[in-house]
Amino acid sequence: MIELTNVSKWFKTKQGRKYILNNVSLSIPSGKNIGILGKNGTGKSTIMRMLGQIEFPNDGTIKSNKSFSWPLGLSGGFVGNMTGKANIKFVCRLYGKSNDEIKKTIAFVRDFSELDDYFDMPIRTYSSGMKSRLSFGLSLYFNFDYLLIDETLSVGDARFRKKSKEALLKKIENCNVLLVSHDMGTLRDICDVGIVVNDGKMYYFDNINSAIDEYMLINKA
Amino acid sequence: MVKRKSITIFLAVVNALFLRELSMRFSSGRMGIFWTFFEPFFQILIFVLIKLVLFGSGESSFDFAVFLALNFTAFNMFKNIVIKSINSFSANRALFLYKQVKPIDTIIARSMVELFITAIIILIFVALGFYFDFDMNVKDLSMVTLGFILLFFFSIASGIFLAILNVFSESVGKLISFVITALMFASAVFYTVEILPIEIQKWILYVPLTHFMEMIHGSYFYALDTKFVSYEYIILWTMSLFYVGMWLYVKLEKRIISA
Repeated sequence: MIELTNVSKWFKTKQGRKYILNNVSLSIPSGKNIGILGKNGTGKSTIMRMLGQIEFPNDGTIKSNKSFSWPLGLSGGFVGNMTGKANIKFVCRLYGKSNDEIKKTIAFVRDFSELDDYFDMPIRTYSSGMKSRLSFGLSLYFNFDYLLIDETLSVGDARFRKKSKEALLKKIENCNVLLVSHDMGTLRDICDVGIVVNDGKMYYFDNINSAIDEYMLINKA
Repeated sequence: MVKRKSITIFLAVVNALFLRELSMRFSSGRMGIFWTFFEPFFQILIFVLIKLVLFGSGESSFDFAVFLALNFTAFNMFKNIVIKSINSFSANRALFLYKQVKPIDTIIARSMVELFITAIIILIFVALGFYFDFDMNVKDLSMVTLGFILLFFFSIASGIFLAILNVFSESVGKLISFVITALMFASAVFYTVEILPIEIQKWILYVPLTHFMEMIHGSYFYALDTKFVSYEYIILWTMSLFYVGMWLYVKLEKRIISA
């Protein structure tokens, strides 16, 4: 259960406040894979970050007793002048993993990400696709209640995309996802329910197909 | 995911950040390490030369080189903790992606790294001191150690306070390097309060850092004493900076994370 109570989020601009959410109250049931839809610039990523509690509403509260991954996106949240391996170690330590577990995680991510020599090179030499492969591979080895995924599945070549999707489908047998995507096919395959963001409001649909229909409607308008 | 206690999370985060900072320090090129450890030697060399030129090699009741080594080690710890803390939030912004990393953890981890480096520098000085037969008799080792510990806390408190001011105005970070240079001259780093004229003593004792320096070298040398040190003043400054810093931090933490 994720509980939003009177949540407002805005950014200050020269033209005044730009609202992403304007006094939204909503509860999102547990155990569902959630797709977040909305036009470009409506604040889907910000909302995902707020649900994951690394960004905060200007007003109101968001409560949940679930654990969330870091947002798996293009930036990756890695340190540029450290190697991929060193970054993996760092994240494992953040989550209090033992040295033994760290070794296993490194072996797994090295294998999954298919970075080969790049795995032992500084992250700044990576392309954004490589960064998200590392970030995604790493997240698969953790047990979160929710994975936060921001368009990550759309990077890499077709083969790696297929592999990621298969890995994710296997992963969501034991956990849930919050997925931001513009790819309706991916949303249909992975998500059960949907949230449509439009004009400072957020609408919950208990079927991903109705969410997609609503989103199509908004796009036409 | 198994729920962890908040203290367990805090320790895991500080440990991870500490190791990360340390490996970044020592992988950022050889010159970086070189300057970290040789800066104090140059400072000592310069001030020993200045003293020779201005006052000649007159008899002194204590070893001036040892005096400088001691004071500059302490002063550099303060300086580095403050400077590293000020940039800590912006330098670690990418890490706030991980929910458990709080901005203040990055300051604590950076300060621990500085403490660690200070400890290594002390070991180097002690080794050199014995090897070259400097007078290594310490009057009151526990008070010297306590002086360093109190200074460490004062430095972290200053670091947190200034890092938060820096969130409001970037000029704080730019100003602080001037202030620290001024402090080096105004806080008994290369002289004792004793030798100053009485009118100046009064003013210099308003500078909190002076008391730490006097405490440290006054407890180290038999020829010196700690009569100017006000422990109340030391504690008052540390507690006030810490209290105000933490009060502001708690109010602003979310803003710092999502900035």
